[in-house]
This record gives sequence, C-alpha cells and structure tokens, in this order.
Amino acid sequence: MSSTATRRPPPTATRASTQVREQPAVRARRPTPYLLLLPAVAILLLGLGYPVYWQIVTSLQEYGLAQQFGQPPTFVGLENYARIFTADSLWTVVVRSIVFCLVNAFVTVALGLGFALLMRAVGRTVRITIQVSLLLAWAMPMVAAVTVWKWLFGWRTGVINWLLVRLGFDGFAGHNWLAQPLSFFFVATVIIVWMSVPFVALSVFAGLTQVPDEVLEAARLDGANGRQMLRHILLPMVRPVLSIVLLLQIIWDLRVFAQIRLLQDSGAPVSETNLLGNFIFELGIGRQDFAGAAAVSIFVLLLTIALSWPYVRSLMKEQA
Amino acid sequence: MVRNGGIAMVVAGMLALTACSGTAEAPPTTADETTAPETAEIHLWVAGGDTPQALRDYLIETFAAENPGSTLVIEEQAWGDLVTKLTTALPDAANTPDVVEIGNTQSPTFTTVGAFRDLTPLYSELGSDDLLQSFVEVGMADGKNYALPYYFGSRYMFYRKDIRTAAGLTPPTTLAEFSDAVKQLRTDSQSGFALGGQDWRNGISWVFANGGELAVQDGTEWTSTLSDPKTIVGLEQWQDLYRGASNVPSTERDVAYWDFLNDGTDGSAAPAATIMAPGWARWSIGDLTTNDAGEQVRDGMADTNKFGIFGLPGVDGGLAPVFAGGSNTAISATSQHPELAENLLRIIFSEEYQTLLAQNGLGPANGQYVSALGDDEFAKTMIDTAAASKLTPAAPGWAAVEAAFVYEELFQKIAEGNDVTALAEEYDAIITPMLNG
Amino acid sequence: MTAVTSAPVPVAGAARPTRRRAPTAAGVRRRAVRFALGVVGISAAAVWAFPVYWMVMSAFTPAARLRSATPSSLPTSPTMHSFTAVIGGSSSPAALRMSLAVTLVTVLAVLAFAFLAALAVSRYRFSGRRSFILAVLFIQMLPAEGLFIAQYKMLSSVGLLNSVIGVSVLYTATIVPFTVWMLRGFVAGVPVELEEAAMVDGLSRSKAFLRITLPLLAPGLVASGVYAFLQAWNEFTVALVTLPAESAQTLSLWLRSFLAASANRGVDWSQVMAASALLAVPVIVFFLIVQNRMASGLVSGAVKG
Repeated sequence: MSSTATRRPPPTATRASTQVREQPAVRARRPTPYLLLLPAVAILLLGLGYPVYWQIVTSLQEYGLAQQFGQPPTFVGLENYARIFTADSLWTVVVRSIVFCLVNAFVTVALGLGFALLMRAVGRTVRITIQVSLLLAWAMPMVAAVTVWKWLFGWRTGVINWLLVRLGFDGFAGHNWLAQPLSFFFVATVIIVWMSVPFVALSVFAGLTQVPDEVLEAARLDGANGRQMLRHILLPMVRPVLSIVLLLQIIWDLRVFAQIRLLQDSGAPVSETNLLGNFIFELGIGRQDFAGAAAVSIFVLLLTIALSWPYVRSLMKEQA
Repeated sequence: MVRNGGIAMVVAGMLALTACSGTAEAPPTTADETTAPETAEIHLWVAGGDTPQALRDYLIETFAAENPGSTLVIEEQAWGDLVTKLTTALPDAANTPDVVEIGNTQSPTFTTVGAFRDLTPLYSELGSDDLLQSFVEVGMADGKNYALPYYFGSRYMFYRKDIRTAAGLTPPTTLAEFSDAVKQLRTDSQSGFALGGQDWRNGISWVFANGGELAVQDGTEWTSTLSDPKTIVGLEQWQDLYRGASNVPSTERDVAYWDFLNDGTDGSAAPAATIMAPGWARWSIGDLTTNDAGEQVRDGMADTNKFGIFGLPGVDGGLAPVFAGGSNTAISATSQHPELAENLLRIIFSEEYQTLLAQNGLGPANGQYVSALGDDEFAKTMIDTAAASKLTPAAPGWAAVEAAFVYEELFQKIAEGNDVTALAEEYDAIITPMLNG
Repeated sequence: MTAVTSAPVPVAGAARPTRRRAPTAAGVRRRAVRFALGVVGISAAAVWAFPVYWMVMSAFTPAARLRSATPSSLPTSPTMHSFTAVIGGSSSPAALRMSLAVTLVTVLAVLAFAFLAALAVSRYRFSGRRSFILAVLFIQMLPAEGLFIAQYKMLSSVGLLNSVIGVSVLYTATIVPFTVWMLRGFVAGVPVELEEAAMVDGLSRSKAFLRITLPLLAPGLVASGVYAFLQAWNEFTVALVTLPAESAQTLSLWLRSFLAASANRGVDWSQVMAASALLAVPVIVFFLIVQNRMASGLVSGAVKG
C-alpha cells in the first residue's frame, strides 16, 4: 500500500510503539470534550435510546401480537427469561453458536493473516490482483453471495460435486451438503469465512506495512531468515491488529443470521441448524413472541460481553 | 454550564419521544359517515406479483370512477416480508394500509388478534356461500368474518406422457395405482415421482386423501392430530411412496420441481417422470424456445405428446384433497377510511373482477365464476382439484408452526424411514402448544 | 513489497541484499520462492473471486438455462435480457435515488459525529470517558433483530416513516459506535505535539488542526467512510420496516423483490444475479477509488484501538 513515510510523523518511537500513547491531558481552552461528545451521544440516544429501552422493558413484559394490536402489556418480571432458559432449545443453540463463532473467527483471522503475509511477499501485480479479488468478494451483496455458494454446493447441479466426481470421489455425485448439520455448518463456515476474510486480510496487511523497515533490516543483518522474522518480529508487531479483528469477528460471527437463514431455505433441518440470530428472528418475526425475542437479545448481549471479557478487561486497564 | 445543559436537552428529547411513541394519533376525519362520502386516498397492499398489472389497473380505474374524488394506490409487498410489515403497519392508524392481501395460512394469525375489521355485515353482499368456504372459514374468528377469499390456486400432477406411455402406463384412477406406477417408473437417474423429503405441502394430500386431519379444534383449543390413525395411514403411504419413487434428497422442500420434468440442456434425460406443483408451474415446463422478446423460455408444455397433467386421484377414485394455495383479503381495523375500503371490496368481489381473475389463471373466490378460468385441460383440472382442496388448520399459531419449519423437519424424518407412529406422537407434543398462540 | 527496498539504512560495510550482482544461489532461491508465492497468490485470488465471476456469468445467462446438470464456465447463450429487465423496472431509479440519499446522509453524519467523539475521547481526559468507551463497545454487541418494532413505533410517532432522515438517524446510530472505535485509534496516533509545535510557530489552534492533523487523519476518515457506506448501502431489515411505501424503497429492498416467487412465476435467478451485480457496482467503484488510502487507514485505527 502507500508508503508510510509520507503519512506518519518521523519520531521512530511512535512508529515502533503500537500501544495507545497516553495523551497529555489537555486543559480545555476551547471546546470542552463534552460538547464534542454531544452529537454522537445525541444520535445514539435518538436512534438507539428508545429501541434499547423498549427492548429491556419488553423483555420484562408479556408482549405478543395481541399487545402489538392494542392489548396492554402486563408486567411479568423475569418470567420471559425463565421461560426461554428452561426450554432446551436455547442452550443447544447457544453452544452451537459459540462453537461456530469461535471456529469462524479463528479461521477467518488465520486465513486473513495468511493472505496478508502472502500479499507482502509477492510482487506488485500479484498483490493488486489479490486485493481487487478480495474487494470484489467484500462488495458482493450478501444475498447474491449466499445464492451462488448454494449453487456451487448444490446437490444436483453444483460445481463442487461435479469437481469432486471428476477428481475421482464418486461418492459425491448428488451429495447433499446441507442435509446434515455438520456438513451444513461446513458450508456456512466456508461462506462466512469467504465474506469476512477480505476485511481481516486488508487490515492485517496494512498493519504489516507499518512495521518499521529499520527493524527488519537490522534483523536480516543479524542473520535472521524469513521464518524467524515472521515469528519474532512481524507477528508480535501486528498482534494488536490481530486481536482487534479477532474481537470484531467474534462479535459479528456470534450474531450471524441471514446467511444461515438463506442456507436453511434450501432444506436444511432448521431446529438443528439454528444459531442465536435465527433463534431471535424466529421468536420475534416468526412467532411474534416479541418479549421472548427481547429477552434472548439481552442475553446475547451479555454473552458477547462474557466471551470478549479478556479483551474488555485489558482495554479498561489501558484506559485507566 | 454547557455540559449539563446539553445532556438535559438530550434527555428531554428522549423523554418526549418515549411519551409520543405510545399513542398513535389518528388524523381527524372530516367525513360524516352518514352523509357525504369522504374523499381520500386509500392503500391496497398486494402480496407478490400474483395480481397482474391489468387487474391492478382495473381496480384503480373502477375505484376512481365509483368513488369520485378518491384514489386507490396499490403497493406490492414481497411474500416473505409481508407478515413483518403487517405486524408493524396494521396497528398504526396513520400509516396502515386500508385493504390487504394476506396468505390463507397467515390469516388466522391476524384475525385472532383483532387486526382486521369485521366483515360479517358485508358477507352476504360479497358472495355469501358462493365464496370458497374453506377460505372463508380460515378467515373467521369468534364466529365473525374478518378475512374473505381473494383467489385460489391448486396443485396437480404434471407428467411426461412419453415416458409413461413407453412404460405402458396410463394416468392412474386411484391413489394406489398412482403409487405403483411411479414406483415402477423409477430408475437410478430418474425419479418416478419427484418428491422432496421435506415437502409437506404436497405430502399432506396423502393425509387428507385418507380422511386424516392435521389438527382439530375443540371449543377454542386446538390439538395436533398427527397421531390420529387415519393421519398415520396417510403418512405411511407417503413414506412408502417417497422411498419407492423419488430420488430427490430428504432435505428438499416444494421448490422448483418443474426443472425436473424438463430434459437437460445438454440433451440428458429428465430427472423425473412426474411432479406435483401449483398450476403456474406450467410456464416453466416444456422445451426451450425463443419468445417474441428474443428470450429463451420454456414453451409451457406445448408438446402434448410429451407432457400432460392429471389430478391426484383419491383412495377410491375421484380426486384426492390437495393443499390449496391462495390468498385472503381483509380491511385493517385501524383504517381511517373504512367505507372506501368496503367499496373497494365490493369491486373486488364484483362479477367483472372475479371474471378477470379467472381469465388470468387465478381461481376466483366466488365459485360462480370459475368457468371463466377456461375450458382447456389446465382450467378443468384446476377447477376440479380446487373444489376438492383443503387448507391447513385455521389455528392462530399455525403461521408460527410454518415459520419454525416444524413440518419440514417431521417429513424429513419420515422420509428417512423412521417409525411414523413414534414421530407423530413426538411432534404432536411439539405442535399442540404452538397452535394456540 | 516496496517497504523493504525504500528504507535507507546507513550501515557501514555490511552486505546489503541486492539484485545487482551476479545471481547467487540465495538470490535464485528467493526469486523462485517469490515466483511460487506469486502463483499461489494468483490462484488464491482466482478462487476467492470465483463466486463473483459466477454471479456475473449467471446474470448474462437466460434463467431457463441456469442450473443445468453440467456446469459450464462460460455463459451459455449469453443475453443482456436480465439486465434490461432489471433496470427497466419502474422502481429502480427511485430506489437508486433513495439509497444514494440515505447512504450519503448517513456516511456524512457518521463521520462528523464519530470524528468529534473520537477527538474528545482521545485528546481529553474527563470523567465518564471510560464509561463512554465501554458503552460504545457494548452497543455493538446488541443484536439488532429485535429492535425493529420499537424503531418503527419511534419513527411513526414523529412522522418520519418513508423518509430519508428517519432511516438515516437509525443507520447513523448503529454505525457510529464502530466508527468511533476506529477513529479513536487514528486520532490517538497523531500526537498532539505536532499541533503544538505548529502553534509555537505562530498558527492558531484551528489552523494547526486543519493543516497538520487533519491531513494525517484523512486515511482514517476515508476508511471509516467506506465501512459506513457498505453498512448503509446493504442494510435491509430496518429499511423494510421503516420504508413501507413502495416509492420509498432502497436498492437492497429492490433486490429483495426479485427473490420472491409469485403465483405466476418462479424466481428468475438470472434477474436476481443481474440486480445483485448492479448493486455491487457503486460499492466496487467507491472501493477502487479509495482503496489505497483505505487500507493504510484501516490498520492505523485498528492498531491504535
């Protein structure tokens, strides 16, 4: 990407450091920080304030379609939560979602890192080809992407089966990838990883380009070979980037809904392949159990915080 | 201080919003219901592309002519999102559509929560018992009519005449004949009868044919009756049929079967000898041809030596009851212009419009006009099978059962060869609580 | 990668890796490795872009011919028909205008608000700073699927359904958290000393900000803008519910209308692919224009975050 020298300030201390530098406290002579914060806070309250408040309140009420059409909702306390949590279905979905999310997040970051390293190691034309290809994948509308992947994995006319048969695996003629949950999630992982890798790859790649050249040169002079440089210099320096994208992937993959739903439409066993996002959707839009959906949403929020707690804690320490 | 003032402003704004959100203000109506008719713009929501443009134009023109000063605006909503949009829009008096089209299986969800206006006073004027009764029933709640039939479709069997004739078979007259024939026609590369393992919409025809029911209502409570002996007979027949005649995986639903009847574009044989599909599947079946616009399309089964249709036969001859597709129509309870909305319904149920529906291949709600569907083989089969058709249970929670794909799962397990009686019991326990909303 | 060769390292007497001398064994091996990696790279790129290619190819194939038993790598009997059908529909120009308006308003609002907030959070210390940062992080974790009813009621009560402003407010609120997150890192990466040095030289604070800091923040702003663009452009659940009128649809809703089968026809997949390809075009164009700035921007924010 663009040479870093023209953009960044000269002090090597800043370049080498990848931690947030503590900024000296600026005494307000002009705008106070609160004024600067105001537009963002205002828009958050305007756009999300009421919906989130409604979500919390509704999770504590009896709220179905009847209430939507005028019957006043009654307060039922934690009954919705109890009802949701005691149904077996939720916990299997939770476990499934966590496993799926972790697998996807780590595979995505690993592949993204691989692409980034690859982009770094090849010549300019190849690198740009890779970047353009990743960008195309990122820009493709999700519906089209999932549909095309469904066709590729289709049991009757899919390219993948056709290829596998060509390669000698005759058992794959007419194989239905979406029939069993395990292979279903394999296909889902392929799709979601495919859609998520571009963001990770481009971020990590840009991170790699910011590793100071002096450090690399010095290492090479010391006789380090490629692999050692990778392990001891590059990877540690992009660790912050990696941890951020990993966190983001975990947050996003835990809530994945639309791709699973589209795949299920092709006939997968729904209750065995639902993830948390689908679960909420089914409760809310499918069954008009809005209170239940609200309760599960809040639960998912808490679950995500729990899953990302190590990161959150280090963040809070950093900001102290 | 600026800081406190800013936050106070924001909080005040938020409070104001939460205060307003609870009440939807009804715009003042200037019309006096008993004297001068109001003039207004009313909205009709149609679902999907079912209603052709010519019919929509007819409605708009006729409405404008009969209600001077008022206009009709028709908006199309996608089927998949219809329930979601109705859920948010119907209770909102300021933004509700006045008249809506709604799927027949979705009607009970809304009729039972008071989303619609009571149409009982209009019932006799709009057609009374000439209207398709199964659709009328599904639109009733507490003995009142809230949704009335709009149009119906039907399902029948499409088949490859050439393949059947080559095997020495003629169209069957009983259900058993049908099963035997398609099992005979099955080869490794061709299904005798292409049936998806999750395809319950076609599959319940076997339940109905044996006199079984999916659920019954006792007073106000609904119970799932999969364990009923007649239902089990039907399900077992279906299981036997699937395993003996179909090469389609157990995960397929009722989608795109029509592809299977067509020869492959590379000249390979058709993957199926028989399919069951709604009437409009016809236009996706046939040989490839180029139409006036220069596109490549299927010729709609033009070669009658190659393609044909028949209604699914009953157990003892006649026709088996099949699942009827179609829509109902209703007026929103919060509509600000109920009189104009009712006028629109009068137009929809008029002879002219019903005839138009039929001429366009959509079964009219009023049985008097079905002859306008035509008298070719397709029209006749459609009329006959629709007359024998049945609907899914009119339970308030039925739409939720569909949304959770419970029947798809049940049928897949049946298709995979599991014990039907055990499955019926298991799924009755799952479905009954869902049915009552 | 150019980074390696651009660093001038004044090391006296040490051998520098160079290609100007006669090919050494190490040099040949390195070039071979590089070539091999290049092949791997091109293959990976081809595999990754394959679905996109498939989409475009399907868009040019008549629907009746899609999904034949033997997949072909080139369109069979290619036709522009799907594209003309899709563009010719009466709703597409209005949908395009709506999407452009909403996306533009959203991106501008997001950038403005998040930037100011990022400034506040990175450059100042004040009570509530940590809570704000945590709140911004936690908001991103709330599933959006359950909010649509409340969002509808809210907009309906102030008469903002079917409006650009209404939808933009909702979009902005959902995108601002992540953007604040990203921009926080960028702003922290530009030391305040630079401004102060400029002020010592006589510039006023705002001039210093505009001349020194802002240009350095450009990549970050661009990266955030692109991300916001993507989110707003492709979103549909909120749009579905808050834009019920047919005249107010966005392009993503327009795309969805092609997915519905109806009583008279099945889904025309060729048209779906054509519509999708068209929907992707502005995004890709936007990307290609800003991708250079963006990638370097993406990481600085991430690194500092």
